[in-house]
Amino acid sequence: MKKLVYLLVIISLNTFAQNKYLTKSGTVNFEASVPSFEEVKASNNAVTAIINTDNGEFAALTFVKGFRFKNALMEEHFNENYAESDTYPKATFKGTIKDFSMETLKTTSTFEIKGTLTFHGKTKPLDSVVLNITRAEGVLNMTGNFMTNASDFDIKIPKIVKNKIANDIEVSFKFELKKK
Amino acid sequence: MKKKLLIILALVFIVYLGYNYIYQDHRNIETEQAAYILSSEVINKEFLQNAAESQAKYLNKTIEISGTITEINAIDLTLDDHVFCLFADSIAKNAIRLNSKITVKGRCIGYDDLLEQIKLDQCSIIN
Repeated sequence: MKKLVYLLVIISLNTFAQNKYLTKSGTVNFEASVPSFEEVKASNNAVTAIINTDNGEFAALTFVKGFRFKNALMEEHFNENYAESDTYPKATFKGTIKDFSMETLKTTSTFEIKGTLTFHGKTKPLDSVVLNITRAEGVLNMTGNFMTNASDFDIKIPKIVKNKIANDIEVSFKFELKKK
Repeated sequence: MKKKLLIILALVFIVYLGYNYIYQDHRNIETEQAAYILSSEVINKEFLQNAAESQAKYLNKTIEISGTITEINAIDLTLDDHVFCLFADSIAKNAIRLNSKITVKGRCIGYDDLLEQIKLDQCSIIN
């Protein structure tokens, strides 16, 4: 009998711990354009993102090959020479949203997220990225953007194209997370 | 005179080649021949056994996967819970049903170890 109670407690704890929202088709864009040159911009629509609403833990995973450019040659160069996506196929983010709680989350709230971004085999901390969360029935909409540098991820921009590709990269993201 | 004309023609040709190189078309996965044709169970088993090796084998390859549809969304569907297929445009919902058999062609972009799913993009329905 006691065992059964323990079992029930464990099962119920587990179900409580499953307060997760996730998406498999989130969007991440980045842009390293220089004005008056051809835009260096790509978009990825196959991003996985998960948030644990009990503690605000957040994780996102993208495949580097999933970034689509307008220009096919630029996409090829990005994969082969810059991101080296055969060696480093994934880019990930892991972090925690500060002071996150479902109770205080109104229809629209602003939070800060802190974590680490891994890309091209390098990991870099990201501090206080502003996050907008909109809450709807069973859905959390998350949007935000941040700036990062190509040099921080050991990506070398050759001299010949240095004036056409910016070192500062603007990354924006949009996730529509559904309750699991 | 003839020589000049020839040089101009050659220049035009080089510019044309250069333009085509810089503004070449994207790969068209839909018309490409599939490098591998297999079922969702087989590919999942391979990834479970050795994710790194399988990823190297399938990454960026056009593959045809058959399986049962377990989830349908606006622009993606999932086969047997472990093959995620992303389409470029919205899926013709009346053409497919949950729990029905389907064959999908797409490009493998990697193995998602958060969800333990193989991801394909630029998918198209074969039948």
